[in-house]
Formats: sequence, C-alpha cells, structure tokens
Amino acid sequence: MSEPRAGTTGQAGPETQDTAARAAGLEGSVARLLRVGTYTAIGLIVVGVALMLATGRSPLDLAPALAPERLFDDLIRLQPAGFLWLGMIVLLLTPAARVALGGIGYARAGDRPMALIAALVLVVITTGVVLGIQGA
Amino acid sequence: MDVAVLMLVGGVGAGIFGSLLGLGGGLLIVPLLTLGFHLPLREAIGVSLVCVIVTSGASAGIFLERRVANLRLGMTLELFTATGALLGGLIAFLLDERVLAGLFSALLIYVAVSMIRPRTAVASPDADARLDGESLERATFMDRLSGPGYRVHRLRAGIVGSVGAGVASALLGIGGGLIKVPVLHVVMGVPLRVATATSNLVIGITASTSAWIYLIRGGIDPYAAGPTAVGVFVGASIGSRIAHRVDLRALRVLFTVVLLYTAFQMLRRAAGVQ
Repeated sequence: MSEPRAGTTGQAGPETQDTAARAAGLEGSVARLLRVGTYTAIGLIVVGVALMLATGRSPLDLAPALAPERLFDDLIRLQPAGFLWLGMIVLLLTPAARVALGGIGYARAGDRPMALIAALVLVVITTGVVLGIQGA
Repeated sequence: MDVAVLMLVGGVGAGIFGSLLGLGGGLLIVPLLTLGFHLPLREAIGVSLVCVIVTSGASAGIFLERRVANLRLGMTLELFTATGALLGGLIAFLLDERVLAGLFSALLIYVAVSMIRPRTAVASPDADARLDGESLERATFMDRLSGPGYRVHRLRAGIVGSVGAGVASALLGIGGGLIKVPVLHVVMGVPLRVATATSNLVIGITASTSAWIYLIRGGIDPYAAGPTAVGVFVGASIGSRIAHRVDLRALRVLFTVVLLYTAFQMLRRAAGVQ
C-alpha cells in the first residue's frame, strides 16, 4: 500500500495541477532554506566547539553574555563565544525565516488565510523576543 | 576526558536514542545535563531547546522535499504551538526549579509507561475523504488543510492540543512531539507518517519561540549548548541510518528502565534531596 503524501490532491484538473505544482515549488524552497540555515548554524557551532577545545575552555566555564556589538570583533579574534553565539542566532532565526518564506509564497499565490497565519506566527515570535528583552 | 568531549559524546548518545525511538533528543538532554553535568535545570532546558531546533531543522527539510510533511497544516498549528511556547517560556522563569524537576519527572514516567503499554488501535484516516476532482481554489479552509487520502478533522481540538504542546515544550525543553503526533494522528485523523513529519516541522517553531526568551534572559549557555548540539546532530544522523538494523523491542525495554531511573533521580531533585 502506498504511503499518503501531503500537500497534493488526488485527482487533478489543470487548475489543480497548477496549484499542486506551486505548492511543490514552495515546499522545495522552504526545505532548501531549512537545510541551508541549519547546516550554516551547525558549521558555525562546530568551529566554536573546535576553538573551545583548542583554547581549553570547558562547557562548565561561564560564557560571555551575548553582546551583539561585540560579535564581529569576537569572530575576527577567533573567540569561541563569537562563533557559538552567531551559530545559535542563525539556528533560532531559521524557523522564523521558513515561516516568512512560506507566508510570502502563499501571499503570491493569493492564499490570504495562510499568508495571514504566517504573519501572525511571526508576530508571536517577535512578541516573545520583545517580552524577553523587557524581562531580561 | 575533556568535559566538552564528554558532553559531545552524551549528545551523540541522546541523538541516537532519540532518533531510534522517535522521541527527539530533548527528553534525554535535560537529565544528561542536570544529573550528569550538574547544570542548573533551567539552563539545561535552554540547551535542550537548541538541540530540538537542530534535529527539527535537519529532518524537516527532508520530510518537506519528500512531500510527507503537510506544510499548510503545520503552519496553521504553529500559530497555536508558538502561542503556547510564548506563554510557557514566560512561565518557566517564574517557576521554582524544583517544580520544573517535578514536572519533568512526571513527563518521564508518562513516556516510560507509554513505551511499555500495548499499542491500542487508533482511528484510521478517512480514506474516502480526498479532494477527488475538486479544485483547491474552490475548497474550504479545512479541505485545503487536508491531503490525499485523508481529511483533517477536529481542528479546534488540534488547536487546544497544540497550545498544550507549546507550553510543555517551553517548560520542559522538549519538542512537544509526544503531544503533537497523537493529536494529529488520533484526534485529527492525519496518517501517522504525515503526522510525524508535520510534527517535526512544527517543533522547530515551537522550540525557537521559547528559545528566544531563554537566550535573551541568559538561559542558554553557548559553551554547554555548542558541544551538546553538535553531538545531537551527529547522533540523530547516525540513528536514522541504523534504525532498520536495531532490535527496537529490546531497546524499548532498556530505555524504559533508563527513563524510570531518571524520573526517580529527578523526583529526588524536586524533593530537594540532591
């Protein structure tokens, strides 16, 4: 018995085929974004861990707090915390970027409810960031 | 041995176990870091959320390319899991660590019991409910959320379950798949394979929403998160490759014992014994 697949219709007229093709294109773009974002983040984190090992830093040591204004300097000076923080930020941004890309794709396809849902998800994430900053 | 290497190896183990048993790494990372490396519980939860995003990001892309995950349904439920995660992330910083340890212990016991309990039959997907010959442009919102061979049911119940999964994820550092998969499959009538893949996609947003709060409030230590995340990434990759060669029944029994022992240790922590 074949496994059901998501996001396509069973029978298809020309209109439906076009919609299915658009959905497949969007899902492919979203998948590529997820892969690039995750692998970039892991790459940065691997460099950070390698620098940790090379400089004898322990995971139990107190790491410097995240300071965006210092991030570039830390990267230039090959500080492990710089690579680790940047990796974490890229990692945390990737799901939100995926939602944004999905929302743009749905908006272009004229699917207003899905575009609105994507926008609302981004609003919730942004609210979390703002409340996090206020409570920090 | 260097603590960073030990943490990396622990992450590999958690990634392999999580991948083989379909549990994700979160359930194992928190006890590993708190009981094994004596990290504060809240910090361990923050690190675990990072690991959850890593595993979700790596596998969700594959599920989407294979067209197994339902992006439309996933994005709809994400609105509610993200809302739950936002609430949970804020609550987590108000709760005493001993309360969190007690909640985590209850979760471990629940999962251990679920693993040894015989599987009950679940509602089969509505195979006749496909959108045969119907244009998506004219379909209702619920039709659009459905896929070939199944129709999505009980969206409201799915929304409630998604909010709960989001809260649990943020409080305990898990992906929430333990809640999302049964909700999608049993309650909403989504085939198990699609439910698992879609849950994996949703987990990324759920975990990242609360992870931002943890990161900004100093709940994520990059020195601890780095080696663990790399380990989980490697472990999950290994697990997915060896899954077909492993006797999962024996592994389940072993894992149940590990979970119950860990639950006991977490209960001691909750009671202030450790």
